[in-house]
Amino acid sequence: MTKEEAIEKAKRDLATRLGIDESQVAEQSVSDADFPDMALGAAASGEMSGQMITKGWKIQLDGSGTTYEYRADKTQLRLFKFKGKNYKI
Amino acid sequence: MNRNNFLPHVALALVLILVAAFAGQIRRWQTQWRHHVRIMPAADKRHEPINSLEAAPYETHVFSAPEVLVKFKTGVTEDAISTITQRLHDRVDDEIESVPGLDAIDDLDDANAESVAAEYRALPQVEYAEAVFEISADDAPVTPRDPRFAEQWALFNDGSRGGIKGADISAMHAWHVTTGSDNVVVAVLDSGVDYTHSDLASNIWVRPANVNPYEDKELGTIQDVQGYNAVENNADPMDDNGHGTHCAGIIGAEGGNDIGIAGVNWKVQIMPLKFMNAGGYGTTKDAVEAINYVIDRKKAGVNVRVISASWGSTQKSRALEDVIRKAYEADILFVAASGNATTNNDRTPHYPSSYNVPNVVSVAALDRNDQLASFSNYGVKSVAIAAPGVDILSTWLGDEYEEKSGTSMATPVVAGVAALIVAENPKISVDELRKKLLASVDPLASLKGKIVTGGRINAAKAVGAN
Repeated sequence: MTKEEAIEKAKRDLATRLGIDESQVAEQSVSDADFPDMALGAAASGEMSGQMITKGWKIQLDGSGTTYEYRADKTQLRLFKFKGKNYKI
Repeated sequence: MNRNNFLPHVALALVLILVAAFAGQIRRWQTQWRHHVRIMPAADKRHEPINSLEAAPYETHVFSAPEVLVKFKTGVTEDAISTITQRLHDRVDDEIESVPGLDAIDDLDDANAESVAAEYRALPQVEYAEAVFEISADDAPVTPRDPRFAEQWALFNDGSRGGIKGADISAMHAWHVTTGSDNVVVAVLDSGVDYTHSDLASNIWVRPANVNPYEDKELGTIQDVQGYNAVENNADPMDDNGHGTHCAGIIGAEGGNDIGIAGVNWKVQIMPLKFMNAGGYGTTKDAVEAINYVIDRKKAGVNVRVISASWGSTQKSRALEDVIRKAYEADILFVAASGNATTNNDRTPHYPSSYNVPNVVSVAALDRNDQLASFSNYGVKSVAIAAPGVDILSTWLGDEYEEKSGTSMATPVVAGVAALIVAENPKISVDELRKKLLASVDPLASLKGKIVTGGRINAAKAVGAN
């Protein structure tokens, strides 16, 4: 998965979760990041991950007046602390 | 000369020449004998060389004839030195050019070296004289012939790349005592292991013929050959991520094989286990299944003594804790990463490293300056020990090598040292093993009040090396 593909996938996911049109999701920022583990610091329920620093992208999107954080690398996309929970997309 | 005496004189001359020639040869033989090279396997006699390459570091000890090193005072000429040595029936074996006036002197009578040195010390022309003494390899560090060893600062930190010289686990001194044993099995519970990697292949565990295939009442029979894949419940633990292969190399990349790197153990049996997928994460259920496999193999007679667990999360699983306790009851140490969230595990536990089970050793990460890594978790009550975990070079997929950082990398360093201890102490119990590990640290100011032992693991101390 490329960075661009991760951004598009994240936009689609957020639009679905918020029940809004994808065009109403705005890209606030995208930056390279070192995440603390292989679940990108966003382990979902029941997950254990390798404790290796992992390079990826932090994707911040605005939707319905709130900023949401997605985390991605070339193999995965995760939603970080959405209503208190992490999700693997 | 009387013609009648000519032939007897010629014969006598020939005899004298032959006697002189023979005497000269005897002197040469004596000299050669005194200059003999002694091959000194000065290592602990218990240590059997793994192969010819491993043995090589011990074969460099030359002990030659000169009995004394004499430093003549400034101004004493070569002629004067020659006169002195001839008078004492000695000879200058070699001038040490870098130190004017320093000569290695051979006593032609082969007298006691201390006596010869005393003779020279009594001379007014001499600044000092000392007996040549043998330097054995007993305390010498062992350097492996793995071409990228110089990049393995965790094992030998020479101070390059901004590091502090000596901020390492003293592996080279430990290796003088043991480089590991293929009787010791270490389970790498991870994303699997690339068991075909050329620096790992010879150290991968293979189920012995006298151990039956793994049988699970519900999962069925697994014809395990070299480990277990809990993700797909099959016998192929091939790594499709790289993380497990990296950890395996830290524990036991084959040492002295002229390939890549050296593991903490040059020789060990790595049991590959896969419970994390290609993304590097997995479920508690699959982790439990894999540990269950290890315990079963132990009960079947496999000498698996250590589980290396470079993973975790803040989520507590009672089932995971229970199965780790079962591993303890099976005399298996469980070495676990403390986590990379820069948090205090005393307040925010990280599992499995925070389980209060007697076989768990929680590991923090250090950088090459002996500082707690910027990402490392800590906990003066809950994190036991620290080990290098930043920019660690190890094996990777595709027969490659990569530098990675994390408590994931520090964990197999400690697991590897545990395996060295077991290699030296095959009967050691898990309680004694854990105690010995925790007693084998170099205290660091940076860790005081941060972790239980306040120190970095020292492999040499762990195996009782000088």
